[in-house]
Amino acid sequence: MSFLKTLWGLLFRLFPCPTKVGLRPIGNPGPDSPVLVTCNFDLTVKRLSRLLQGQDLWLLVGESKGVNVWCAAGGEEFNTHSVVSVVKTSGIADKVSHRTLILPPLGAPGVKKSEVEKQTGWKVKWGPVWAEDIPRYLADNCKRDEPMKRVTYNLKERLDTGLSCLFPFYLFFALVFFLFFSTQLTTYLVVGALSFFAFMSLVPWLPGERGITKALFVDALLLAILLTLEFITDSDANPFRAQLVIAMIMIPVYGLELGGLASTMPSDLDPFLARFGVKAIGNVEFAGTTRTELLNRFKILTYDREKCIGCRSCSEICPQGVWGIDEEKRAMFVNKDACTACVGCITQCPSAAITAKKPS
Amino acid sequence: MFSYVFMKILEMRPRSYDQQMDKISRGRVRAAKEAVAGEVPKGSHVLEIGCGTGELAGLMIQRDATVEGFDLSPSMIQTAKERIETENLSDKFSVSQMGVDGMDRFRDEQFDAIVSTLVFSELSDDERRFALKQAKRILKPGGIIIIADEVVPKTFFRKILHTVIRLPMLAVTYLVSSSSTRPIPDLSGELARAGFSIQKEIRSHGDSFAMTVGIKEKGEK
Repeated sequence: MSFLKTLWGLLFRLFPCPTKVGLRPIGNPGPDSPVLVTCNFDLTVKRLSRLLQGQDLWLLVGESKGVNVWCAAGGEEFNTHSVVSVVKTSGIADKVSHRTLILPPLGAPGVKKSEVEKQTGWKVKWGPVWAEDIPRYLADNCKRDEPMKRVTYNLKERLDTGLSCLFPFYLFFALVFFLFFSTQLTTYLVVGALSFFAFMSLVPWLPGERGITKALFVDALLLAILLTLEFITDSDANPFRAQLVIAMIMIPVYGLELGGLASTMPSDLDPFLARFGVKAIGNVEFAGTTRTELLNRFKILTYDREKCIGCRSCSEICPQGVWGIDEEKRAMFVNKDACTACVGCITQCPSAAITAKKPS
Repeated sequence: MFSYVFMKILEMRPRSYDQQMDKISRGRVRAAKEAVAGEVPKGSHVLEIGCGTGELAGLMIQRDATVEGFDLSPSMIQTAKERIETENLSDKFSVSQMGVDGMDRFRDEQFDAIVSTLVFSELSDDERRFALKQAKRILKPGGIIIIADEVVPKTFFRKILHTVIRLPMLAVTYLVSSSSTRPIPDLSGELARAGFSIQKEIRSHGDSFAMTVGIKEKGEK
């Protein structure tokens, strides 16, 4: 059962997979051990438990409806109440002598730090973005260097998010081939998988800002190869025709919503669906929330310097390095174009200096 | 009562929630709420955990109760506020938006009765334990707690039957709302462990639904 859940989490991340909410000791924690908070996505908790082997700490698993921290924070399943509730009801206050919580910074779009502090009386610190960095973060007295604050999209992450979100589409096309082109099913299974690995590996080096442009660039190359082969071989003897056509179909499928998978790119599919009036599928919303209003360009990220109190919440939390600090210690845009509309800075800003506003 | 899992879908549209819940349960939800209201002594000061749109509160107010309700869902609270406005209930019914973790804000021995329908099956084990501990503290001695909810049937055969019938509904709900409810394994046991004396437990619908009434004995803290 546990293995099935792991497999489900790996291949069908579009569908939630919850695990039990509450307190989990890692190693042999005592009254001075740190308290970390995470979501109740089964795979997240399993991976954390593995990466934290050898540490002694308390892990508080908060309600996120079985969705990973970032998606759940953006979709409002992982919110201030998730954290407040697990802190107050799990009995952690009786187990430790300190009152410091370490929160996952990718939870910032949903979990308002100042509100958690107000409602629980605990002090909140942001941990590192990557679970791999937690041991180093704890060893270094909870100090975060720049890489601990930023998301990246390296090969391992591309394969992980790609596999977990694109596998259902791979399966769907397998079904199509099984039903209508069964002679080509094996070719599809091999070529479909190879195109996935090739495309996801090459993503950073492909031209274009969006997944679909990158995919169409590859398709253009493949089309050129196909036509060349058709030209130099007899019209019926091109040995790679099926393979090339399959790759040309599948690569745009993989590339279409690369922005939604990539931690460093904004989603393309969400505004596309919103434009056609699709407001939500299940509980995934494409319109009406601050995040989608920004993605759809109905609103833009707006900063009012007069209201800034210089608390640095925004620059601490932005996973893309959009915010910096000016010489008067107030916030300033340093890389606005990198914004992926996660809304972490808007949620955290205690003085409403950062908002989403209709462009004037 | 298997179809309660569909509740997660209906919660997405609070305004038609009560009506639709009644439809999918073929009137049983309304009946369950009437049964709960019937257990509340006349003129009580009642706390409702998860008051939703205020349907049960309305039934209790008809029996001269004053009700304080809370619910985690802002849209449910909004709908309840509209009910208070249109039915002119402001001196009988007040609501706030919070979860059970906020129950520590109530004073000791403040309420004559605490009621909750179809909420405990959505809470975590810790939240249920916390809510019952707080309930014990804020009830007056002799006060009662009434919980009506989805439960796991007691016998092996019923358990299997319950799972088999519920599974397809669970799947549909999961696909639409990406969530579900969790029938409570041992409701009266949890109440007893929190220090309540179980007055009665009425199980119905293939043993998958229970209304449990506990009492805080006089002299208990």
